[in-house]
Amino acid sequence: MMAAIRAIAPFAAFVALWAIVVAVFHVPQDVMPSPAAVAAAFGDAVRKGVLTVYTGETIRRILIAASTGALIGMAAGFFVALNDVVAEVTLPVIRFFQSLSGIAWLPLFIVWFGFSDKTIVVAVWYTLFFPVLFNTVVGVKTVPRVYRNAILTLGGGWSRMVFDVLLPGAIPYIVGGIRIGAAFGWRVLIAAEIVIGAGGLGYFIFKAEAFHLTARIVAGMITIGTLWYLTDFFVLRPLEEATIERWGLVHR
Amino acid sequence: MPSKINVENVSHEYFNPNTSQRVHALEGLSLEVPDGEFLCIVGPSGCGKSTLLYLVAGLAQANSGRILVDGRQVERPGRDRGMVFQDFAILPWRTVERNIGHGLEIAGVGRKEREPIVRRYVELMGLSGFENKYPYELSGGMRQRVAVARTLAADPQVVLMDEPFAALDAQTRNVMQEELVRISLYERKTFLFVTHSVDEAVILGDRVIVLTRRPGRVKATIPIEIPREQRRWDVLGVEEQFARYRQEILRLIREEFDIQEHAAS
Repeated sequence: MMAAIRAIAPFAAFVALWAIVVAVFHVPQDVMPSPAAVAAAFGDAVRKGVLTVYTGETIRRILIAASTGALIGMAAGFFVALNDVVAEVTLPVIRFFQSLSGIAWLPLFIVWFGFSDKTIVVAVWYTLFFPVLFNTVVGVKTVPRVYRNAILTLGGGWSRMVFDVLLPGAIPYIVGGIRIGAAFGWRVLIAAEIVIGAGGLGYFIFKAEAFHLTARIVAGMITIGTLWYLTDFFVLRPLEEATIERWGLVHR
Repeated sequence: MPSKINVENVSHEYFNPNTSQRVHALEGLSLEVPDGEFLCIVGPSGCGKSTLLYLVAGLAQANSGRILVDGRQVERPGRDRGMVFQDFAILPWRTVERNIGHGLEIAGVGRKEREPIVRRYVELMGLSGFENKYPYELSGGMRQRVAVARTLAADPQVVLMDEPFAALDAQTRNVMQEELVRISLYERKTFLFVTHSVDEAVILGDRVIVLTRRPGRVKATIPIEIPREQRRWDVLGVEEQFARYRQEILRLIREEFDIQEHAAS
């Protein structure tokens, strides 16, 4: 109960401040709507079913893109971590591409994949790929050598090495990478939806602009922020803490 | 008696990344270990004792010479040669039970068949009640028991032990040594046990081999003619025979140590 209050209180204070500023300075509604107007716009968008449909699309996209993207990043991370030659050849190139955001690739992705879901998913993949890859590499490298030796003397082969030793050993790092990557991916997803214009929350707020529905824009933005906050608070952070704490990795 | 392990004229050098130096660990070392023997290896620190175990395990390849186990040359690690490491190499993300059963799991033994074997080693090593604990919940002594149990449960023919009790407190160490004596009474396996503790070598070994300073060769071999059944600390601690073995081995090691000091000054 206390925890819930402590989690919500900062937001309540922020909304109150916002309401006061809008009221005191008589800010026009189409520049910055009041919280009440945003709540009304939110209710209106939900009632008409627009917001629910668009939110559903965005959630579907992030789930598909993040889960597959994390797997791609992990696989690549293992490949790089376990092979010095591969690491030497690929890492400089990987570092170069890391500096380009997924958004910078959108024009090219559109040429390749069109104005479609595919383009959005690939942009999120691209964003997720690097943090997951680098964290996987670090995670794999931190697994003590003696664990590998122990598995070898128990008769284990490479698949045992990967799935019994390196993967569980690297999991706290990998989850950390997924958490960072998914946060970036979420932003890129919204941006890509704005550009692609095929539904989703990004499209929702962008289209509202065309009709000067400022309150609806803010309602969409709050939905985007809230969804991420809840995902991080209830899924990603507990997952990260659980993997570290359960095995006592923080005690050493 | 046919020999289980043959080490033939083995020399080995490796690169130590921590000191950025090449280490000439072994030079022309030869050794024969009969089947079922408990062989202890002692020597001045850094004499290549551990290197020898890694070579027999197949975790490293000798630069020259060869190592045979059952007449076959060692090329890679295998489940016939289990190893217990100095620093508790049990997996933190597996419970006690799953660590102990890991070797069997790797060998493709089903869950049902694993269970009684794991239970037996849990009891043997005094780990009852801790089956579902994670390693971080255990004391150092208990972790090392899990490591020993894991290696024995995989049923290797050769058990390699690299100063397994070095990190334990004196009391726990003595208990572990006595337990290992007890286990070796009814597990017919060949043990290669590296230690820097002379007492430990004498209470455990059928033979004790003293290595020279680096690069290591065999300096002396001392058969310990004390029956297994008498090897308990309360009995041995006061035995004159035990003290004599101890003195002799200490003298041999000190000789090597003195030469090393001379060379350094």
